Amino acid sequence: MRKIFSSRTVVLLIIGFLVVVGLITGSNWFAKRTNTPPFFQRVVNDLTGGVAKVISIPTNAVGNRANSLANLLNTFSENKALKSKLDGYAQNKVKLQTVEEENQSLKKQLQLKNTLTDYQTISAVTISRSPTTWNSQLVIDKGAKSGLKKGMPVLGDSGIIGLITEVNTVNSKVSLISDTSEDTNHIAITVKDSAGDTNGILTDYDADKKLLVMGSVANQATMNKGDMVVTSGLGGLVPAGLLVGKIADVTTDSYGLSKKIYIEPASDLSKITSVLVAKSNVES
Amino acid sequence: MAGWQFLRLQFIFPVVLLVLFLVDGNLAASLGLLMKEPIHAIPMLTFTWLFYAIQFGVIDRLPFYVYVVVFGVLFDIFYTGILGTYTLAFLLGTIVMEKLRPFFDERLMSGLLLLLIGQLVYLLVTLFAGIMIGADNLTLLPFFVYLVLPTILFNLILATIFYFPSWSLFQRLG
Repeated sequence: MRKIFSSRTVVLLIIGFLVVVGLITGSNWFAKRTNTPPFFQRVVNDLTGGVAKVISIPTNAVGNRANSLANLLNTFSENKALKSKLDGYAQNKVKLQTVEEENQSLKKQLQLKNTLTDYQTISAVTISRSPTTWNSQLVIDKGAKSGLKKGMPVLGDSGIIGLITEVNTVNSKVSLISDTSEDTNHIAITVKDSAGDTNGILTDYDADKKLLVMGSVANQATMNKGDMVVTSGLGGLVPAGLLVGKIADVTTDSYGLSKKIYIEPASDLSKITSVLVAKSNVES
Repeated sequence: MAGWQFLRLQFIFPVVLLVLFLVDGNLAASLGLLMKEPIHAIPMLTFTWLFYAIQFGVIDRLPFYVYVVVFGVLFDIFYTGILGTYTLAFLLGTIVMEKLRPFFDERLMSGLLLLLIGQLVYLLVTLFAGIMIGADNLTLLPFFVYLVLPTILFNLILATIFYFPSWSLFQRLG
């Protein structure tokens, strides 16, 4: 019988397959357990990031023009809707300022230095986004030199968009909340309902529905569609009070024992040109 | 004309490859319409440039597979941080295109069909690698509808636009 592959080719193919599988699983395992990547990887990332920053100037300009053109089409209706909301925002701004001042004064009286809601922000520009099928990652132009650490939350135009997963010297990688990798979205959150708050964690991202998932919630917990979801500040480097999104759907598991909450992210994840990294004043 | 004598293929090819490798990431970040939910279209200009080299028969004059592996590793380090996945995807995609090349001719439509097959191999390898490390919970139908279709459409349009300019460039460099 004629052989398709020679014995030598079969052995080489098997060895090649094992090496690739080992590399993928090994580097994935290593990346999750280390705070900074190995020296070689860091140097390659810093050098490539530098060149990418230069190349991003014209491509960002072209991208911005294309997006502006697309946005122009719905400017009229958007402007009308925004104007109607503006009065409410002015009222809220005054209220926020008053409450902030009151909060500072009460903290002083209680001799509280920093709480979970205190954080500073570091602004950064998006150099690149991973053109890959499953990793939704951004590369931003700030790294360890600017005080960034693995696990810090990153904010977009209206809420949290991801966490820092790799810190190089002058740039960092941000895993978006839409990243479907394991262990990337486990952020402690609170659902704000009129009946009370419910704590939990983001357990998953449903790539088919494009919604975040908060699993294993007790059946007694009261929450409704449209409720706001914010970070709770418990555990890790994520401060409290960062907007995550709002509840899109509440379902019960097949045994009727717990609830599964679907959350619509607050920020638009399609185009992220600049971000803010939130640095909590309370070190965990 | 004299200037072209100094711009050798061996020099131009990796430089363009490096630029396109970075432009892929920049386009994904700056062109919002590519990643507008639920669509997830991936720019694959690096892969398209490798296809042009196969299609226009210049790979024998270059350390082609060295470039494929080097840029695959660079892709893994810079974009994902997980080694092996895209190196394998680039390698298998280009090997399949090279092996099938004798069955296709230099016409545009034949070339685009060859690129389409290469792109499918590339995307499927990354899907299976993602499933292997638990990074992908996308089921097959949405994967094809929201990722494969827009990605292939976007990249085939770009490949069509730059097909003859690239052919002309390789002719001059040759």
